[in-house]
Amino acid sequence: MAVTRRPPTKSEVRKQQMMAAVNFPLDWLEERSGLIGGVKYFLFRKVPSDTNWMQTLGSATLTAFIVQAVTGVILAMYYKPTPGDAYSSIQNITDHVTMGWLVRGMHKWGASVFIILMFLHMGRVFLFGAYKYPRELNWVVGVLLLLMGMLEGFTGYLLPWDQTAYWATVVGINLNGTAPFLGPWLAQFLRGGQEIGADTLTRFYSMHMLLIPGAIIGLILLHLYLVVRLGVTSPPWSKEEAGRERVDGDGSRPLPSGLTKPVARGAGGAK
Amino acid sequence: MAVMTRREAKRAQFGRYKADVKDRGKPFFPYAMFHDTVMSLVVVSVIIALASIWKWTSWAPHHDGTHQGLLGPEYAAPADPGTTSFVPRPDWYFYFLFYLLRIFKWPDSVFLGTVGVPTIALILLISLPFYDLSRERRLSRRPVAVVGAVLTILSMAILTWKGATAKEALASEVIADVPHWVQAQHLPPAAVPGAKLFAVAGCTACHTYLGTGSSNLGAPDLTAIGTRNLGIQFQIRHLQCPSCVNPGSPMPKFASLGTKRLHDLAVFLEASKGGK
Repeated sequence: MAVTRRPPTKSEVRKQQMMAAVNFPLDWLEERSGLIGGVKYFLFRKVPSDTNWMQTLGSATLTAFIVQAVTGVILAMYYKPTPGDAYSSIQNITDHVTMGWLVRGMHKWGASVFIILMFLHMGRVFLFGAYKYPRELNWVVGVLLLLMGMLEGFTGYLLPWDQTAYWATVVGINLNGTAPFLGPWLAQFLRGGQEIGADTLTRFYSMHMLLIPGAIIGLILLHLYLVVRLGVTSPPWSKEEAGRERVDGDGSRPLPSGLTKPVARGAGGAK
Repeated sequence: MAVMTRREAKRAQFGRYKADVKDRGKPFFPYAMFHDTVMSLVVVSVIIALASIWKWTSWAPHHDGTHQGLLGPEYAAPADPGTTSFVPRPDWYFYFLFYLLRIFKWPDSVFLGTVGVPTIALILLISLPFYDLSRERRLSRRPVAVVGAVLTILSMAILTWKGATAKEALASEVIADVPHWVQAQHLPPAAVPGAKLFAVAGCTACHTYLGTGSSNLGAPDLTAIGTRNLGIQFQIRHLQCPSCVNPGSPMPKFASLGTKRLHDLAVFLEASKGGK
């Protein structure tokens, strides 16, 4: 039977043209980079159906880091890393620049929130046993991120160049100095000389806004890559836990460790 | 069928995990991402709230950024390497390290507190997945892990709390003890300026003197330092650069105090013969 095709109406034609206009740049980009496919893969990848609120702590930590990065860039536009100007530039930012107090306040308090969230996120991963095979490397990357975050705290603390900043850093550097072999060398490197002064400040500033954030961004990308590649774990107490043991008729599957009788969770067996 | 090796069992489990997620999982967007977005908004709101409370309780009442608000001042007084009457305090997340130093205060064990214990703890933390090898993820079947975690959290909490509440003598309190020192030690008038300087220059943040101050970083009690008859010149050289005279000393340099004040301090130290 012949199908009679009516010509498309005006609105249908317009719709098609619109779709083509939207798709063209996306297709163009996809054809040349594969980025659209990558983003789609990231967004529409499956996660276990029983993931819960505790598993938002990782992305919350990332958000806190983004807050630090954005406010840090703005602060760097006004801050002057010299012993003569640092304190007054901090005063200027906090008390005179429009919304400067908010930017510095968010950076100062965001640091504490970032550290707390890293610890909570680590606690969640521990609670879920999510560091176990095959996610060992991501635990290592996470601990390195925690270490880098603490170093950001240490180097950033000096920058306001007030009494708190100065004397905490004097003690901090002297602590490093007590390490065997490397200690004195490390203390000398951090100070940039014999005394804490202009060279120490620029050194800390450079580490605080270039070296360590660069390392953190690289480690975060690696961290996320591994999360996407290896998947998110189910809560271990979940009845619907992805990857749970099932007792099969042929007994070919092992029993959960510590069990002698085949009474596993999800005892209903594979559905 | 032969019993699976541990490695095979691990791989089989991860295979099941992938199959389960593929069959019954939900897409990250929009389900998980919705939760993530809500949580992120909460985080940003909390940060803005903290910044606002900090600003409006510190600066707003007196237009003075050094005013102690609910969340501390906007900034302390400008850094001044010359007058070291300031008690060093790190940010709160270093309090546990800060207090660890008070536990290991004898000179030979200082490095245990500063480097040894933290390094061992870090190695244990980073290598956790390499010694906790079981596949078991339920807490009820991970007794060792649970005990380890509880002990870790408790000790971190206690160290942080003790670090937060550690009482360092303030310079203004220490200087009130100077007349008592003069009497107890029979200090000559020439030693009094040095005694006052000793009280305000932050020495008691690490050293003790006639029961005043807190011992830190392995700093010795100085009540009877004069009985060692080290000499004024030695004392001055040591104050200028402690680690030059005494390699590995964690004591900061006090050369910035200037020759006159260092001399006063040295006279005071040499006159301190232990009291009674």
